[in-house]
Amino acid sequence: MSVNNRDPLVVGGVIGDVLERFTRSIDLRVTYGQREVTNGLDIRPSQIINKPRVEIGGEDLRNFYTLVMVDPDVPSPSNPHLREYLHWLVTDIPATTGTNFGNEIVSYESPRPTSGIHRLVLVLFRQLGRQTVYEPGWRPQFNTREFAALYNLSLPVAAVYFNCQRDNGCGGRRT
Amino acid sequence: MAIPMAMATPTDSVTRVWSMSSLRSALPSCRLPSSTSRRPLTLRLPVSAPSPLLPSFSGLSPVNPLISTGLPDWKSFESGFKIIDGGGRVYAMRHGRRVPKLNRPPDQRKALLRGLTTQLLKHGRIKTTRARASAMRKFVDKMITLAKDGSLHKRRQALGYIYEKQIVHALFAEVPDRYGERNGGYTRIIRTLPRRGDNAPMAYIELV
Repeated sequence: MSVNNRDPLVVGGVIGDVLERFTRSIDLRVTYGQREVTNGLDIRPSQIINKPRVEIGGEDLRNFYTLVMVDPDVPSPSNPHLREYLHWLVTDIPATTGTNFGNEIVSYESPRPTSGIHRLVLVLFRQLGRQTVYEPGWRPQFNTREFAALYNLSLPVAAVYFNCQRDNGCGGRRT
Repeated sequence: MAIPMAMATPTDSVTRVWSMSSLRSALPSCRLPSSTSRRPLTLRLPVSAPSPLLPSFSGLSPVNPLISTGLPDWKSFESGFKIIDGGGRVYAMRHGRRVPKLNRPPDQRKALLRGLTTQLLKHGRIKTTRARASAMRKFVDKMITLAKDGSLHKRRQALGYIYEKQIVHALFAEVPDRYGERNGGYTRIIRTLPRRGDNAPMAYIELV
């Protein structure tokens, strides 16, 4: 099918830079204030100071999910040597609920991109059991694939990404 | 110049043949260079026969229509200059024209594209209109190709195009690692929602 090349996650480069190709099986709704996040949406840092409201689908309350929020374009999309900065990590989210019911092991840090337009990816993984995921030591140089392999999270079940650039234009010509 | 008209009378009144000698005697004497014994001091250069490889160049001078060259198709008496052009056809419509004009005169267009490629190479991803994004692909690829070559001449060519020199030096430093295996297609365009002010179709263009 031509869906593979038209999938916004593929077109936006998220599948490839951050994740492997997967099939979406759980609904994921992310809302910042009044705006629901769709793939490729343009949001300013002033609108994402506070954590969003996340609601996930699924049927069985005994399944637990992990939500990861990363920025693959740090410090700048042209030179992402600190690739993947971890902004938020919530584990043990029961199905059909939201992040309020989960265990926030890495607290939400509001993205403040300095240079260029950054993508911010929210990924949902399915856990094998409760309390099987632990926090990493630091936020930058995070690797989502290795993280999933380490805690046996396998392929993601849902993902969404949006774009964020700094509020006051590009900051002018710095020397 | 006085032309002796009645002076050159026919020598032989019977046959009425006009000979040159009477005319020559009437005209002021001139020394013909080939017949005199005393040669003027001239430098004689050996004149070789024209090489058979190069035919004699008749030049672009117009063919004199008064000289009958035997060409049967000389009908008009225009200037006869040879028309040299690139073979370009001029249509009334835009058929086959692939250069995007971007609603700007050529100097502004070049400056716009230079600025856009500089910003894309600086920030890695920019948001602009779809027409500009698809117009600048060619120039971004060109800059990355120059950086892939890496020689001094190419570096100077890139410095002549990109507005900030740190970007050129950074580009030449990192392109071999980043795009060493990739052949072409160094950018990606993602279409996005139209701009609110004028509903212009927008796109993100990013370095792959």
